[in-house]
Amino acid sequence: MSLSKGTSRLALLTSAAALTLGLGAAGAWPDTIKIGYISPLTGSHAEFSETDPFVLATMQSLLENGLEISGEHYDVEIISKDSQSSTDRAGNLAAQLIYDDDIDLLLIQDSLSSITAADQAELNGVPAISTMMPWQAWMFPRGGDPAVGFEWSYHFFWGLEDVIAAYQDIWTSVDTNKTVGAIYSADPGGEAFGSADFGIPAALGQLGFGHVNSGHFQEGIADFSPQISKFKTEGVEIIAGHSHVPDFSTFWTQAAQQELEPKVVTMAAALLFPSGLEAQGDRGDGLTTEVWWTPGFPYSSSLTGQSAAELAGQYETDTGRQWTQPLGYSHAIWEIGIEALKRAGDPHDKEAVRDVLASGNFDTIVGNVNWADTPIKNVAKTKVVGGQWRLGGDHQYQLLITNNASAPEIPVEASVVLLGDL
Amino acid sequence: MYDALTQSAVWRVKTPKSGLVAIALAAIVLALAPVAIGPGSLRLLVEVFTMIALAQAWNLLAGYTGFVSVGQQAFIGIGAYGMFAVALKMGLNPFSSVLVGGIVAAVIGAFAALALFRLRGPYFAIGTWVLAELFRIFFINTQYFGGASGLTLARVLRGIPRDVRLNTTYWLALALALGSTLLIYLLLRSRFGLAVRTVRDNEASAESAGVNVWGTKFMVFVLASFITGCAGAILYLNTMFVGANAAFSVKWSALIIFVVIIGGIGTIEGPIVGALVYFTLREYLSDFGTWYIITFGLVAIAAMIVAPQGIWGYVAGRFKYHLFPVEAEISKDLPR
Repeated sequence: MSLSKGTSRLALLTSAAALTLGLGAAGAWPDTIKIGYISPLTGSHAEFSETDPFVLATMQSLLENGLEISGEHYDVEIISKDSQSSTDRAGNLAAQLIYDDDIDLLLIQDSLSSITAADQAELNGVPAISTMMPWQAWMFPRGGDPAVGFEWSYHFFWGLEDVIAAYQDIWTSVDTNKTVGAIYSADPGGEAFGSADFGIPAALGQLGFGHVNSGHFQEGIADFSPQISKFKTEGVEIIAGHSHVPDFSTFWTQAAQQELEPKVVTMAAALLFPSGLEAQGDRGDGLTTEVWWTPGFPYSSSLTGQSAAELAGQYETDTGRQWTQPLGYSHAIWEIGIEALKRAGDPHDKEAVRDVLASGNFDTIVGNVNWADTPIKNVAKTKVVGGQWRLGGDHQYQLLITNNASAPEIPVEASVVLLGDL
Repeated sequence: MYDALTQSAVWRVKTPKSGLVAIALAAIVLALAPVAIGPGSLRLLVEVFTMIALAQAWNLLAGYTGFVSVGQQAFIGIGAYGMFAVALKMGLNPFSSVLVGGIVAAVIGAFAALALFRLRGPYFAIGTWVLAELFRIFFINTQYFGGASGLTLARVLRGIPRDVRLNTTYWLALALALGSTLLIYLLLRSRFGLAVRTVRDNEASAESAGVNVWGTKFMVFVLASFITGCAGAILYLNTMFVGANAAFSVKWSALIIFVVIIGGIGTIEGPIVGALVYFTLREYLSDFGTWYIITFGLVAIAAMIVAPQGIWGYVAGRFKYHLFPVEAEISKDLPR
């Protein structure tokens, strides 16, 4: 028996149609959620991303079997990009993720990128979560207004006022002559911390402390003698300001050579990472800094159930390196992102995801992140306390929480020791 | 009759049309690209085209006129800030503002030339860098231009539909890349182009042959500043945000020099080839972190050993072919 010509043509057409449909279905299923992630893996801010490969590996394994959302199964694809610590590159990467990869959600763990990448999300209607930048520096350069906010970009971090409150907490807890000498770098950070309206000078005015301002220095400066001699003349006992590690090292070495002996040194930026302290040799002992996440924070992960101490412990075991503060935030941004996609019901519905963020209240390993109830639109503030670096512990230096006035739930681990009493 | 006037007519280039044909074809095909390719690729092409323009301008300075600038970022930044300032503060359309950015850069380039031309060789190079640093520090400390925090264009771009914004930016970048290539090509084939290369090869003999050395250099420098300023404006129109540390970064000069050297210095094809090589490498390697930067170094070293004249220099030398011929040759049919 042979098939007629007509039948075979029909069969051919049918099978072709079936094949096409089948392929189409295979293309559409499993449904994939795409999450873009930008962080500074290389360049001047690379230290902020030191913990990222670890966090990304954790997320890859957690999302290996995809997500179950409203009874639907979704595969999850993480597209991680290196901003190279460049604002320009970050903006272009964000656009690429949005246009080429068609991401459903953008996560930005990068201080510099949070401006340009968030602007791209804003203009193209893609929900974005960012962190690692004081909120003022995230909002104002973008022309934002705390009363109005933005539509698509959501930020969680602390503000300058919180860091300065932590500094005030440190300075008022010890006995000094209340005279502060300050050095500020000539960059956005130094500009903000040195602002007479909302920076350290304003805070000192409120406290009734004296402020010896040495002005802004250009990064890479070789000689801090004028500043040091001014501080000596004015009898400064507290050193404060904003500087990155290389400049602070120059300053602190010259201070020793020229016998400037303050009782307290609290420096923004330079003292964030253990490497910055190790660069000072033994002279890092007793320096104080703001603390926004340590293994001592009393919060736990909504994804893994780990406590802060357990997460830091796992990081140290897996990588053999000391934990750093960004670890908590790198982890938390994923907690929020994944939870927001789940709550949205349809993770591809960008407006639904945005609405979840806008009305969002998330418990994370850095504490509660709440965009629903905030005086600053699109900004959820997180906790900052005061801490002091001390020699000893499992590594060369350990960071101990010393002052917690702004967040009493975070336990104090030691009290501030004056540099002269070490 | 055989006088000086008719004699000048024998200075003809060998294949006068290939470059013009190439530019015309590229213009037609690439102008239609927004119909065929997605917005992500369009944005990438904006970067490629602006890089071609930046490299053409630097090549005109270093490859044809003989002064090496490592301060091109001064004009990138000025072009960008000029554009942002008129778009944000005076409410001019951001796309037309690109031209203003270029003009501001040209004017500042003209004034800078007065001081910079007193310096020679390496001193000139360092002088251009110092100039760029001066502007970086100026913009960082000037609140009118956003200080160290920079300026965003998102506010004025928000009302413009996405396709209009992307396509217009793309066409501007395309026009700049092709326009600067065409302009430099025609310029170098002219009498002026001959003067330019004479200045490069020997200033004293150029002067004695009646070439206005200072004027020639001045014209070239201002033109390069204008092209670089326009490119800066388009680059930051694409990213929508300008900060002084990024715009006035010496990284720009390093990148431009890399592109021109790899592609082939002293040829018009070189900057185009170099830009294509750079972006191809970047797109394939940028996800590999530090290895990305190491690979660039290795490519640069390899190119200098294997093909010190750059990729196009190697190709042109080997096959005796120029798409954009600018060297004059005496034609065989001498006028009678």
